[in-house]
Amino acid sequence: MPKRKDIKKVLMIGSGPIVIGQACEFDYSGSQACKALREEGYFTVLVNSNPATIMTDPGMADVTYIEPLTVEAVTEIIKKERPDAVLPTLGGQTGLNLAYFLMKQGILKKYGVESIGASVDAISRAEDRELFKKAMLEIGVGVPKSGIARSLKEGMKIGLSIGFPLILRPAYCLGGRGGATAYNKEELEKFLSKGLEISPVHQVLVEQSVLGWKEIEFEVMRDCEDNVIMITSMENVDPMGVHTGDSIVVAPAQTLTAQEYTNFVNFSKRIIRKVGVNGGGANIQFAQNPQNGQIVIIEVNPRLSRSSALASKATGFPIARVATKLAVGLTLPEVMNQVTGKTKTFFEPTVDYCVFKICRFTFEKFPTSKRIINTSMKAVGEAMSIGRNFNESLQKGIRSTETARFGLGCDGKDKIKETVLKSPPAYLLEEIRNKIRIANDERPFYIRYAIKCGISLDEIYELSKIDRWFLDNMKLLVELEERIKSVKKIEDLPKGLLLEAKGQGFSDRQLAHILNTTEDNVRRTRKKHKVRPVYKLVDTCAGEFKAERPYYYSTYESKNESRVSANKKVVILGGGPNRIGQGIEFDYCCCHASYALKQEGMESIMINCNPETVSTDYDTSDKLYFEPLTVEDVLNIIDLEKPIGAIVQFGGQTPLNISLSLERAGVKILGTSTDSIDRAEDRERFRKLLLKLGLRQADNATATSFEQAKGIASKIGYPVLVRPSYVLGGRAMELVYDAESLESYMKEAVQASNERPVLIDKFLEDAIEIDVDAISDGKDCVIGGILEHIEEAGVHSGDAAMVLPPHTLTKEIIDNIKRSTYALAKELKVKGLINIQFAVRDNVVYVLEVNPRASRTIPFVSKVINVPLANLATKIMLGAKLKDLGFTKEIEPPCVAVKESVFPFVRFPGSDAILGPEMKSTGEVMGVDKTFGLAYAKSQIAAGQKLPLKGNVFISVRNQDKRDIIFIAKKLADLGFKLLATSGTAAVLRQNGLNVGLIPKLYEGRPHVVDRIKNGYINLVINTPAGKSTKEDETVIRSQTLLYNVPLVTTIAGAQATVNGIEVLKKQKMAVKSLQEYHREIKAGLKPRGKKGRHGKNKY
Amino acid sequence: MKARIVLENGNTFEGRFIGPKRSELYAELMFDTRVVGYQELLTDPAHAGKFIAFTYPLIGNYGINDKFNESDKVRARAVIIKENSRISSNWQAQASFLDFLKKQGLVAISGIDTRTLTVHLRNQGAVWAAISGGGRDPKEIISGLKQHKRKTRCDYIREISVKKISSPNLATKPRKVSAKIGILDLGAPKSLLRAIISLGAQPTLLPYNTRAADILKFKFNGLIISSGPEEDTALDQVVESTANLIGKVAILGISTGHQVICRAMGAKVTRMATGHNGVNYPVIGPQTKKGEITVQNHNFVVDRASLNKIRAVKLTGLNLNDATVEAVESPKLKIIGLQYYPSSPGFDTPHPQLKRFLTLCG
Repeated sequence: MPKRKDIKKVLMIGSGPIVIGQACEFDYSGSQACKALREEGYFTVLVNSNPATIMTDPGMADVTYIEPLTVEAVTEIIKKERPDAVLPTLGGQTGLNLAYFLMKQGILKKYGVESIGASVDAISRAEDRELFKKAMLEIGVGVPKSGIARSLKEGMKIGLSIGFPLILRPAYCLGGRGGATAYNKEELEKFLSKGLEISPVHQVLVEQSVLGWKEIEFEVMRDCEDNVIMITSMENVDPMGVHTGDSIVVAPAQTLTAQEYTNFVNFSKRIIRKVGVNGGGANIQFAQNPQNGQIVIIEVNPRLSRSSALASKATGFPIARVATKLAVGLTLPEVMNQVTGKTKTFFEPTVDYCVFKICRFTFEKFPTSKRIINTSMKAVGEAMSIGRNFNESLQKGIRSTETARFGLGCDGKDKIKETVLKSPPAYLLEEIRNKIRIANDERPFYIRYAIKCGISLDEIYELSKIDRWFLDNMKLLVELEERIKSVKKIEDLPKGLLLEAKGQGFSDRQLAHILNTTEDNVRRTRKKHKVRPVYKLVDTCAGEFKAERPYYYSTYESKNESRVSANKKVVILGGGPNRIGQGIEFDYCCCHASYALKQEGMESIMINCNPETVSTDYDTSDKLYFEPLTVEDVLNIIDLEKPIGAIVQFGGQTPLNISLSLERAGVKILGTSTDSIDRAEDRERFRKLLLKLGLRQADNATATSFEQAKGIASKIGYPVLVRPSYVLGGRAMELVYDAESLESYMKEAVQASNERPVLIDKFLEDAIEIDVDAISDGKDCVIGGILEHIEEAGVHSGDAAMVLPPHTLTKEIIDNIKRSTYALAKELKVKGLINIQFAVRDNVVYVLEVNPRASRTIPFVSKVINVPLANLATKIMLGAKLKDLGFTKEIEPPCVAVKESVFPFVRFPGSDAILGPEMKSTGEVMGVDKTFGLAYAKSQIAAGQKLPLKGNVFISVRNQDKRDIIFIAKKLADLGFKLLATSGTAAVLRQNGLNVGLIPKLYEGRPHVVDRIKNGYINLVINTPAGKSTKEDETVIRSQTLLYNVPLVTTIAGAQATVNGIEVLKKQKMAVKSLQEYHREIKAGLKPRGKKGRHGKNKY
Repeated sequence: MKARIVLENGNTFEGRFIGPKRSELYAELMFDTRVVGYQELLTDPAHAGKFIAFTYPLIGNYGINDKFNESDKVRARAVIIKENSRISSNWQAQASFLDFLKKQGLVAISGIDTRTLTVHLRNQGAVWAAISGGGRDPKEIISGLKQHKRKTRCDYIREISVKKISSPNLATKPRKVSAKIGILDLGAPKSLLRAIISLGAQPTLLPYNTRAADILKFKFNGLIISSGPEEDTALDQVVESTANLIGKVAILGISTGHQVICRAMGAKVTRMATGHNGVNYPVIGPQTKKGEITVQNHNFVVDRASLNKIRAVKLTGLNLNDATVEAVESPKLKIIGLQYYPSSPGFDTPHPQLKRFLTLCG
């Protein structure tokens, strides 16, 4: 069937901010979808609140709205744009839910908008637990015994009739949020009530537990002619009981017989037909009893998902692109598979390698939360690796997570020493067994310990229910390790054994550790023996056809298939797995680097291992190597490709960490020199740099002991900001108010010593923080944006809300900041991007930090001023001047844009929802409008804070904030809110003539504040952290507030902005305006470059 | 023990024998792209006399179970893989892949970069190879190989086919017999027989050289000419007898059987540059956009131009990627020819083409 002609204009819904369970895979799918729609000639309207995405680049859709993903906002967009159809299957659960609610509220019908990709019926059948169960039983697909609970009573009844253990799944919740396993009545009651609360439709599925069963997934596509294909199967290494988003996953499934595989395929076909996906893809999750092969279905996602992104990258099959084409009526036999260039997409991909997905966790950011994984997803990112066998893939995968591990143990980072493992004490064996029984992120390492201790595979299987096939492979690694160790010296390592080790994925670093030598030495020995990796293709067809647009992975075999061209080329190092502190923003920059290289006629070579990203899409760069970002893996590629240089500025901390080693190995680092980067990072050199330029810095010093630190702190005065010098990104950074806390920090938290000095900075209390993003060619420097933080100093810049342009700074201060920026860029001879953090207090400008690289805010700024900063920076690295690029003058933003962060606190029970010097947010949104009030309000709504326009506000602030809260409270009262407070705050407010209701604290009797929150009595909570004494109390209040989805504000500045936003929202209705409309209002934008043709059009 | 694969053009791959050792062996080399189903593929008689290389690198993961055999004896000459799994992990596993090799006396070489081998075959077309234990001069091996290739007369069907007219030896029997189907056995896989039985038909296996007149005596409702070796001295005789059956009984030809029918009607069969061996091949009708993904095992194909000259049959299925002939039909003559396998291991709803054939049988 040809594509549909009755549709002209399509609205695409994005997935919003990066949160746990919904990461940049939807930027990958959304971008592919935009491209596919426009390729077919549809006018494409996009809405997404996340500015850090490639899809919201003004060139991707015809019209781009960065607006909150709410029914209200999207209704406004529909009213204005009048699309014929909405495509909700590429924006994750958010997109799907939004479409569902638009349908429920009759908006789609009212404006004649059709839901394509997945009909509203299909969405309901997959999402509504009861409908789903019924549908599955009708087609003979088994389901776990279950029932839908709409109340506690009903849930208890269902649960008790099925028997324990039970799995609880709140309906319409993303990434298994609120999901839990109940082993007894008490837990059932507890989890039920929680689940009922957080489910937007107040339904919880109470389900028979299939803990320990195999978890098998299939990616399926179907077109309107009922052609169905399997993209791939996937097998979770962690069996049922661990959310698939947290599980280690291999593709294809490894332990299924052909007959079982056929069964799954037949089920999958029936399911996708029954659910009614008739132009798109679905992810189907099954559980299989390993004892008898019994199969039950767990769930169906009738949309693009994290798993489909993985399946796509694992096979080379562009699922999102194809799903979009199917959604507009094309069929699989009509759409070309661009990777082979020869086959149609109606051809099931097959692979000749083993793919491994491993998750990246950030438990270290939430130390009070238990380090276990279960049915509620906690991973913030993932890495994918490819090898010719399971072990090669496994060890590469572990390297790819960038958790400073270089394979499955024996890399010098093992927690338990070899000697101890030889004769393990009983308690240790018990600990090892526990770590295997209860799933956690370190489990693979503990399995290795167990094997080393002589615990049998059968016992490990009984403890973990991880299939013996996986366990035996790990055992093989341990055996190989022993064989290598028996060689003793690297000089004596036979080539055959070396090759075998490399073929099983051992890194040079591991071999160096086993043979007690250096990584360099292993590398030299390897080269001497001519043991080098070859590169094989991801080509969707296992080599049957010659592929036109394949990508590559390394392995140790006979023939290299990477076609090395004679072109001039540049290697871009990507950012690896998403994590807190390094996410999609950096992938955005890497993609732009690639686009810019192409525009300059240069071959672009991307190295990255994150399957969720646009940078690992088959058509983003000329060549893609799906490889870990370690020195070894990167150098191997560079040895082969011989690029003119490497770009390390864009991938966040990952490439920077290895840039010095690369440079030492002879790689040219493009752009700002590593010496300049070092001048900005080394504390002493940085101090001298500022001194030379006459810039001010907060008083600071380095200490190696508590006594020394105490001396320094009393000299520069409390509060001080302390952090270890050896970690980055705000890790373990703390604000210390007195000598007592300083002592515990120095002695316990970081164990400071000569090797591990601690940096102590005077904390500029109540200062305003400012982020500047600028671009420089070594001579000239142009500022992209000056962003003023909304929260006061002390909140990590990655977590702070920011506004562009600044709204409280005087012209003098701004000029000062500009001058300082120019001076720093010039002195550091910055070629590319530079980010500087300033603090302003009492009209004095302090320089906090200088980062001569891409910052998190580059995409945000680029979107506001309509200048692709990362793109221009890449061209500068290749030798262009700002003048040539037409960017010589700062651009006045045509709007006010607010960046707000989103946080994963609800995922980490027991963690406190407060902001501090350590970054905790996973993603960001942008609110954009004409005024600060509206922009801020939009940013809050987009971040999921349902700003109330009336109702009850609970206020509880620490003593030093009590003066500031009065004005805020007055304003709230004027706006018609009823004020509630605990005794201390209430007293202050009453003294100031405010009418305040008193609410008991947790220990003062009931109904206390948390009861009130649970009962939905409170619509807004303003709670600033008071410090240790009442902390536990406060932690409970804050975490309950979040759990019950009540807006929470934890800073005075945030409260002011929030009240301001509410005031504006009460006065005027939220209006929507596209980026393109704003951009047309920019007076003097980026001038097209002089040279004809080449850069005339900045298409990006 | 070290093993070598030497191709006609001199390319050599080194690995090691993991099953029984035998050298030298000479055969045509083919690759298959399926991920699971090694046991089914190896026991399919259609691959008699071939070296089979798996593109999927990990073989043996889920072990072996007799019930997955497509025939009782492996007819392939050797199997070439990248890695053999040390353990078999599946509740149905009765034996390991190694046990299977031993039991079947199947030569197997592991440690081969089967991807590179595949790329070779893709670029060169059908290639003969020698398997050698090493030590011998490659030049000698190649000359031996060339000699052998010239001399070889493929004559497997004679061995594979049932010796006398018989009922298949299967545990399953149809509950209620609605049709009697003769199966001209060129190497019929068990999954086909099971599929027929599941549709309520009673299959009878016929030796490949059963004369047309004898077949007609049975008054079968329909006749299936099965899959089997494609290049075989016995086939001319089968084509001849088939020519005498057309129009007299409903006939379904599968894979090689399909080629036999087309030849019997006057079409030509040609060797393909690279065969279709795997489970992911798209077949689509000439006028529609609705197709299916099929299992295929063939290196020869019916020449489309010669087929077009035959008025009596119409082309009903094409390979979407290379437009080769995948299915033909003549409702008047009650003939269906399928280049792909309409049966696959595992429980499945019977393939619509089998149902359709039974309808034709009346």
